[in-house]
Amino acid sequence: MLALLAQEVDFVRPAIDWHAVAPELTLLAFGALVTVMDIVWLERGRRLTSSVASIALLVTMIPIVTLALDGEDRVMFGGAFVVDNYALVMKAMFLVAGYVVVLLSTNYVAEGDYWESEYYGLLLSSILGMVLMASARDLITVFVALELLSIPAYMLATWRKRDLKSNEAGLKYYLMGVFASAIMLYGMSLLYGGAGSTLLADINEAVSVDGSPSAIVVVGVIFVIIGFAFKVSAFPFHTWAPDTYEGAPTPVTAFLSVASKAAGFVALLNLLFVGFFGRDDVYEPLIWILAAASMTVGNLVALRQTNLVRMLAYSGVAQAGYMLAPLAVASDVGDAALTATVTYLLVYAAMNLGAFAIVLAVARKTRSAEIDSFKGLFGYAPGLTIAMSVFLFSLAGIPPLGGWWAKFRVMEAVIEAESASGVVLGVFVAVNSVIALYYYARIGLGMWAEDAPNGDTTPIRVPASLVSALAITAALTIAFGVYPPLVSEFDVTLLAGGLGG
Amino acid sequence: MQLLAQVSSETDLYVAQNIFFAVIAGTMIYAAFRVVTTANVVHAALWLVVVLAGVAVQFLFLGAEFVAVTQVLVYIGAVIVLFLFGVMLTRASMGDDETVAGEKRAMAAIVGVLLFAVMAVALVDSFEDTRVDIDGPQGVVEVSDAIFSQYIVPFEAVSVLLLAALIGAIVVARKD
Repeated sequence: MLALLAQEVDFVRPAIDWHAVAPELTLLAFGALVTVMDIVWLERGRRLTSSVASIALLVTMIPIVTLALDGEDRVMFGGAFVVDNYALVMKAMFLVAGYVVVLLSTNYVAEGDYWESEYYGLLLSSILGMVLMASARDLITVFVALELLSIPAYMLATWRKRDLKSNEAGLKYYLMGVFASAIMLYGMSLLYGGAGSTLLADINEAVSVDGSPSAIVVVGVIFVIIGFAFKVSAFPFHTWAPDTYEGAPTPVTAFLSVASKAAGFVALLNLLFVGFFGRDDVYEPLIWILAAASMTVGNLVALRQTNLVRMLAYSGVAQAGYMLAPLAVASDVGDAALTATVTYLLVYAAMNLGAFAIVLAVARKTRSAEIDSFKGLFGYAPGLTIAMSVFLFSLAGIPPLGGWWAKFRVMEAVIEAESASGVVLGVFVAVNSVIALYYYARIGLGMWAEDAPNGDTTPIRVPASLVSALAITAALTIAFGVYPPLVSEFDVTLLAGGLGG
Repeated sequence: MQLLAQVSSETDLYVAQNIFFAVIAGTMIYAAFRVVTTANVVHAALWLVVVLAGVAVQFLFLGAEFVAVTQVLVYIGAVIVLFLFGVMLTRASMGDDETVAGEKRAMAAIVGVLLFAVMAVALVDSFEDTRVDIDGPQGVVEVSDAIFSQYIVPFEAVSVLLLAALIGAIVVARKD
């Protein structure tokens, strides 16, 4: 045994760039702190956990900013872990979205007595997985990051333990999630079998050359994309979303519909642009179908919903379709497709989190998320009504709000492809935007013009944390639309940073 | 193990090894059929042990002792034991239960056959009769070296994941 040990001293210590992993390490340290605080201080620590969690997310922004100022692309482990401008933008988005979710959770979790410190511990570890995902350029890292962000989310979805709907939400999400993971993992193993490496850059090289093992690459790519289609709730893999969104605690729903979906997209972008870029003959038709079907089905089903959270779930399916659309022409327009999807993700995060913040605020009084309970909101909560109108019209894509700019970028990318498939997809986006406007505007009309059900017009007391969440999301939604360079600035750095493709 | 792994040398064919492969593969296929056709949940779990043990032995033939040991520890040692505990702790019937298979059997068979066809075509079409280049077996030493250098980030992430899963599972399962 000793002889064997002595013989294997040729282990090379990996070179670790500590600055590059500083965001992950900071989050990890705070996540551990939240857990230890609960063990050491018990009830006294419990009251502080939401503050510690929000401080954690703000402090983690510091290394992100220093890395951005440094401006250098950092590559570790032969390209498995990359910190470039794209990764930093996505990491910052996850942290800000996570911060808003903590703000949304503060009162909800404390008042419901829902295991506070464990809640924030799991939330932080899920965000850690997302932050890691932004840098992952390797099949194993992508998969582990995906599980790290998903598994805490499965449990958070079932956090209202005494409520059967919440149990259903968690169980459905878990079963569909692991099923998707299994399909994806099988696809990954096929890709590894074809390429002989887990690095996405190597896989791109291996699958792009002529005469490469074609059939398993096709099956592998399809399986992997289907796995992520579950994650981003694209049609026909969206069936878990409405039930899970409805049953899960509302702050968790906001987290799932924004951060978790964005993380799925980040993984998809990494894989498509670094791993499969040379195989557009495989992924483009598949993404095209997913995008067109998600938009159409999501919007048509959303028309008939009477519950606002379910409606937002189906509208989220449609929004996933818009975000997928530029990827269906990725080989023709290259980085423009990447920029369009990233822009849409940033804007979507702001406006959708805002809409959920309103749902939370109104539900504090009405105890319901039915669309009817929003009627006559202007009469007793004019501020919330104005904010909700901003988010709804931004989701519909009305200028000068952020959603308009995002949709414009998507249209620009699919038209720029100058191919029939791109133009048809553009028509899909345009028609669907009109359909979507109908159901978004219907809620707006109810809030402004109709009377409150059963004449109850006592004002809503909105706690400070919800007010700040609303302020952040509304400011970002308006700023993205009024001053597009705010997101366009990222475009430039993204292009300069560039992904492997 | 070293000897068995040198399959890639062009000239010689390991007859004994191929026969063993065929015997074990046949056993695995039979056991896999029994898993889905038996009416007894406990028997299904035990047949699954045979399938998974067969996988472990195939890994041993390829000289991948680490994967083989992991297969035994994780699947036979943990997953199957969990299955059996699950059967015992819930109200599932321990004896023969004709409702286990249910009316979805035909649907499942169709899906299974289709998936098998796709995979068979893909794998045969991709590799045909090319010899897979195995540059030596991936022993425990190589695997541990890779985990603690190339894959150190995912390795650390997995430890966070396990802790988070543990905490969450306690909260969800606990009576309060």
